[in-house]
Amino acid sequence: MKILCNREQLREGLSIVSSVIPSKSTRPAIENVCLVATENALELVGTDLEVAIRYRIDDVKVAETGTLLVSARVANDFVRDLTEETVTIDSTSGNCVITSGGDHAELVTVDSDEFPVVARFQDENSFPILAGTFSKQVSRTVFAAAREPGRYAMHGVLIEVEDSQLRLVATDGRRLAVTNTLLDCPEGTSKRSIVPTKGLQPFTRILTDPMARVRIAFDEAQFALKTDNAEIFARLIDGEFPKYSQVVPPEGACKVELDASLLISKLRLVSTVTSADARAVRLAFAEDHLQIVAKAAGRGEATAQMVANYQGKDVDIVFNPDFLIDGLKQCESDTVHFEFTDRTSPGKFQLGQGYIYVVMPITIDA
Amino acid sequence: MASRSLGVLWGFPIVFLFHLKVIICLCALWWKKCAGTRCRLLFGMDEPLTILHVDMDAFYASVEVRDAPELAGLPVAVGGRSDSRGVIAAASYEARAFGVRSAMPTSIAERLCPDLVLLAPSFEKYTRVSRTIMEIFRRYTPIVEPLSLDEAFLDVSGCERLHGDAIEIGRAIRRDILKETSLIASIGVAPTKFLAKLASDLDKPDGFRVIQRDEIRTVLDPLAVDKIFGVGRSTAKRLGSLGVHTIGQLASLEREDVVERFGSLGAWIHDLAHGIDPRRVTPRRPEKSHGMERTYAEDIEDRELLKRHLYEYCEEVSFALRERGLQGKTISVKARFSNFKTITRSKTMDRHTNLGARIYATARELFERVPPGALRLLGVQITTLEDVRTAHQGSLFGEPDLPTSEPSAAKPFEPGEPLRASKGTKEQRLMRAMKGADKLRKKYGKRILAPGALVDREKG
Repeated sequence: MKILCNREQLREGLSIVSSVIPSKSTRPAIENVCLVATENALELVGTDLEVAIRYRIDDVKVAETGTLLVSARVANDFVRDLTEETVTIDSTSGNCVITSGGDHAELVTVDSDEFPVVARFQDENSFPILAGTFSKQVSRTVFAAAREPGRYAMHGVLIEVEDSQLRLVATDGRRLAVTNTLLDCPEGTSKRSIVPTKGLQPFTRILTDPMARVRIAFDEAQFALKTDNAEIFARLIDGEFPKYSQVVPPEGACKVELDASLLISKLRLVSTVTSADARAVRLAFAEDHLQIVAKAAGRGEATAQMVANYQGKDVDIVFNPDFLIDGLKQCESDTVHFEFTDRTSPGKFQLGQGYIYVVMPITIDA
Repeated sequence: MASRSLGVLWGFPIVFLFHLKVIICLCALWWKKCAGTRCRLLFGMDEPLTILHVDMDAFYASVEVRDAPELAGLPVAVGGRSDSRGVIAAASYEARAFGVRSAMPTSIAERLCPDLVLLAPSFEKYTRVSRTIMEIFRRYTPIVEPLSLDEAFLDVSGCERLHGDAIEIGRAIRRDILKETSLIASIGVAPTKFLAKLASDLDKPDGFRVIQRDEIRTVLDPLAVDKIFGVGRSTAKRLGSLGVHTIGQLASLEREDVVERFGSLGAWIHDLAHGIDPRRVTPRRPEKSHGMERTYAEDIEDRELLKRHLYEYCEEVSFALRERGLQGKTISVKARFSNFKTITRSKTMDRHTNLGARIYATARELFERVPPGALRLLGVQITTLEDVRTAHQGSLFGEPDLPTSEPSAAKPFEPGEPLRASKGTKEQRLMRAMKGADKLRKKYGKRILAPGALVDREKG
């Protein structure tokens, strides 16, 4: 193959595709980026076998079509530091020759047959959505997914379509984030897939223009998204997602509206005295105000007060402050609606339109 | 001139200091009540005579003799029978005269003393007596560090105003023990733990020995080095090869030389030889493990029978944990084969527990990894202990390893719906049931309740 393209576009494409390419793999071929030159475009393909990205650069002069495999890390690093406006890539000699002005690299190529086959996005059975909407749903939930080893299915975000709603759910077993948004899809559409948390990050990476219309598709084995110039596929987690709808409390006995940013700063303030292995703060509600208390053996105690429009008898509940702050950071309005029933039942936060965050309290047995 | 002005200078501070001392003592008393061990800090490092070591004389055997006076004067030992490979747990002084020692196989003991009266141990009885003794200690000071059923360190600093000095307290304790249990204790009073323990041992039985700070050298110097805690047979041998046989000889060595030869142990034993022992009496040494193991009279090969024994031990261990308000996370199973080859297998569970059934579930799993063969010993141990009151992050979906038929604890009940008695996870309900069961066990003995799987055997 032999092509001429814009350096900046090539740099951007290589950087996005490289984000999924592993630096070390038991299957060395996938440490490379696959460059495919067609009649009028250059396609960059990369995969770690869990996630695959196709990134197309349209503004390319193709002198000779073809496919070549070259080390993603080396190509990416070299192109990133080029300064001229255009770059040519030429593999007619057998090696991959990258030239830009007076700068020049001749890289060893790998047999392109060893590269895995990456699917193409199928437009049928796909649904349109605004890029900004989709990435917002992801950031609303992904922080709540499990990180520690444990139940496999919790290491992903559940993405499902039901009643013309797109719903994303993530939980680590102790907190749960659920977000809903309308989806333009035929009535009765029902889809369900669990996308690994790690696989979702590159999705938001290619969604650069929030107003762009993109398409998402559910497949038996993968979840896919297509923008104007990129396609991304994530292999699904084959597991049973916990029955999250059962644990969302219907309506709590105690309800309160709180200033979200003030609550975050008070939680941060008080939690400074807690120790890393015993993160716990007590929220004590009394008429019209909230007291936040943290205690740690061998450290001390801290208290903060804030106004809360709480009515009812004095109640208290203990939470991990990190869990609360994680959720409150996502709160889209000035005030957060919080409700709970008792100190052993989960607390529910309304963080935005169609966005619920449920946190299990810390309890003391016996 | 100079001395006169000094006298004027000193007069005021002495009166002042006297008042200050009274105030400090009162403060100390109060502080002691709430804080315990910190008290010794007030008095600095001059180490006053405040540590007592109380050790019951031939405890198990004495308890038995007390309850069967016709045995008085006879060589009595408590332990397992020789035909079931038993060992001696305790021997009366009459038996000791024949060379019978604790931890000695009963068969050897019987050879040394053919008229030995061998009694089966009844630990529940000893525990009861032990409780009485510990209560007596706590009348005099809150700082009691039990070492075993019949042995404890006491720190009586700050208690002098209430009960007199350490020597008076020691005598009072001995008197109380004799009056309330008819048993005899040996007591050592000294400025440090090591010296106190040594002192109680010096005049045993029925000993009462005080080691004052200024007589440390005269007491320690002639003693054999193996009296030092930390000097075992091999260290004593190595010291002996250097010509060091007594504590005095050890103390006269250069500290650097001892450290060079014996490492950190060297520093430790050299300090002890000089009577330096920074260890404090710590009333609540956190427990690190609980376990139970048994050596069988005859090797057992029957896996089902072994499993039953294992379950029994798990129940015992879990009861002990619950009694102490603890729960553990790591389970180890130990098995010793006929040829004395011993193996252990352990596993850490997802969360802490003190339920016998849960401990057994893991122990059985571990036991499956013990290769087949006749066992002479089987035991279970639980470690990674924590207080049951430790805060726990609740789980939204219940525990994955303990599925519940009921909705998980996380699911709140509907408003208006009556609270069911069975609210909570299976584990929480089991915990509640155990509370009731434990009450019965405490009232009627441990045998009153057993898991169904163990009941048949109990009958037979």
